[in-house]
Amino acid sequence: MLVFGDVFAGYGGGDILRGVDLVVEEHSLTCVVGPNGAGKSTLMKLVSGLLHPRVGKLEFNGTPIGKASPRQIVKQGIVQVMQARNLFPELTVRENVELGAFLVSDSSLVRKRYDEASEMFPIVKDRAKDRAGALSGGQQRMVEFARALMTDPVLVCLDEPSMGLEPRAARTIYQSIRTMHAAGRSILLVEQNVRAGLELATHGVVMENGRVRLEGTGMEVLNNPQMRTLYLGGTIEEGKVASSTGAHAAAPPGAP
Amino acid sequence: MLVVQGIIDGILAGGLYALMGSGLTLVFGVMEVINFAQGIIVILGAYLTYVFATHIGVDPFVTLLITIPIMFALGYGVYMLLLRPIKRDRVIMSLLVMYAVAVVIEGCLDLVFGGTLVQVSTPYATSSIHVGSLVFPDIYLMAFGLSAVLLGVLYVILYRTKFGRSLRATTQNTTAAKLVGIDVDRVSATTLGIGVGLGAAGGMLYGMTASFNAASSYDLISRLLVIVILGGFGSVWGAMAAAIIMLVIEDVISVVWSPVWGQTIFYLVLAAVLLFRPQGLFGRRMARAQ
Ligand SMILES: Nc1ncnc2c1ncn2[C@@H]1O[C@H](COP(=O)(O)OP(=O)(O)OP(=O)(O)O)[C@@H](O)[C@H]1O
Ligand SMILES: [Mg+2]
Repeated sequence: MLVFGDVFAGYGGGDILRGVDLVVEEHSLTCVVGPNGAGKSTLMKLVSGLLHPRVGKLEFNGTPIGKASPRQIVKQGIVQVMQARNLFPELTVRENVELGAFLVSDSSLVRKRYDEASEMFPIVKDRAKDRAGALSGGQQRMVEFARALMTDPVLVCLDEPSMGLEPRAARTIYQSIRTMHAAGRSILLVEQNVRAGLELATHGVVMENGRVRLEGTGMEVLNNPQMRTLYLGGTIEEGKVASSTGAHAAAPPGAP
Repeated sequence: MLVVQGIIDGILAGGLYALMGSGLTLVFGVMEVINFAQGIIVILGAYLTYVFATHIGVDPFVTLLITIPIMFALGYGVYMLLLRPIKRDRVIMSLLVMYAVAVVIEGCLDLVFGGTLVQVSTPYATSSIHVGSLVFPDIYLMAFGLSAVLLGVLYVILYRTKFGRSLRATTQNTTAAKLVGIDVDRVSATTLGIGVGLGAAGGMLYGMTASFNAASSYDLISRLLVIVILGGFGSVWGAMAAAIIMLVIEDVISVVWSPVWGQTIFYLVLAAVLLFRPQGLFGRRMARAQ
């Protein structure tokens, strides 16, 4: 449904993404992993319309979206939760979540979705009248999730949703992602915790230096011996098996 | 009694400065750009009123029906044509553009009207209400009343409309605003339009209460900046409170001491606040999420 074809993009000072080829299938949960600075967040910004490809193909359900504004992208049914905390801190939790439906003009529909979202994320109900900025990091993430679902998106993009959260809060996040996926939404997830992310995923993608280096099912990627090399500081050379370590040793450092 | 009179003068004039300052702080909140042109825009509003009132004979308050839409369109247009195309170093480039706009407007006004000081004259310019030994000039009462009405309208727009919500959201986090589908450019253009419109309304009142020429804009913009800084950049309520506090201080010192000290204190207070409370008296948030 979402297709990258040989995409190059950057911030004006040279390309960060250097020929990305990637397909996010409908109903998949595609998890992108890779070292810091690999270009994962840059990739996500292309999908949300905050950044545009310099060259290359970017299509959503056959429609080119490379030049689309964030607003047009939201209208297409794509929503994004960014890596940085991204609520409106001085607005209430309720106002934040309702703003997720900024482009929905039917107010009874907004109310219905709000009720659903506060059902799924109890924090929204419990703290509805509080300033969003007063919530903890994990709670804010939940509110961001709730806000993201207000447009009833077909593709949900999540950039490192578990970042900075203690394990229990992270597990809650993973559980919500599973629930969103089970509800029929396609998910594009960037995850720092390689094992947790890939175990969740139907598709796994490894990025390094602005390119896709490995692809497969979540488990295939997780158990690929090259993963170990990558996370021990080496790089993956395409077409070469750089390590002979057994599959079980492939758990990268930091995995639980 | 002199002090009470000073306080009354300060509150009445403060309402007017609150009106002009709220336009400036609103624009800063959304775009992080200090609209250096706000001073000359007030003067432009004053001249527009002057032309309509003196040469065509329209009541100054009625001229607002013409000047506010014209000035709104000016602000909207300046954003869409000059600020939106800026791709890099947005904030600093926008600042320069607004400065250029100010210089151009000032040049045009100078050319058309020359340097002679003028004032919008009205039948009610000199009448006043007396309560005991206290004087309430009609014109200042009207100015205060109109400022209160317009700021009330602004409140309704900000807190009771969908546009207002999108404006507040943009102020707090531009990226998040974009990601929920808010057209940040349209919000910015409209905000600049509103800011300029408020400035013009302030200009009409200013032109009735003081004599002015194009160069008066420098004194105005310095005062407005002090008010916006004291109120905390981007805070409309802060700007209103700061405007009244500053004008009361200035007017009280003017009547009990001397007008020169009244103005000096204005800037001394600024220096003191910046030293001890750099976020302004009412400002909360200096850094914001990217
Ligand atoms: N706004 C920006 N302007 C200029 N360069 C940027 C910007 N954002 C990111 N970069 C650069 O792009 C490269 C890739 O950054 P990106 O954020 O996409 O990495 P990432 O894979 O998400 O890393 P992380 O795991 O740390 O989040 C980095 O070298 C970074 O310095
Ligand atoms: Mg990142």
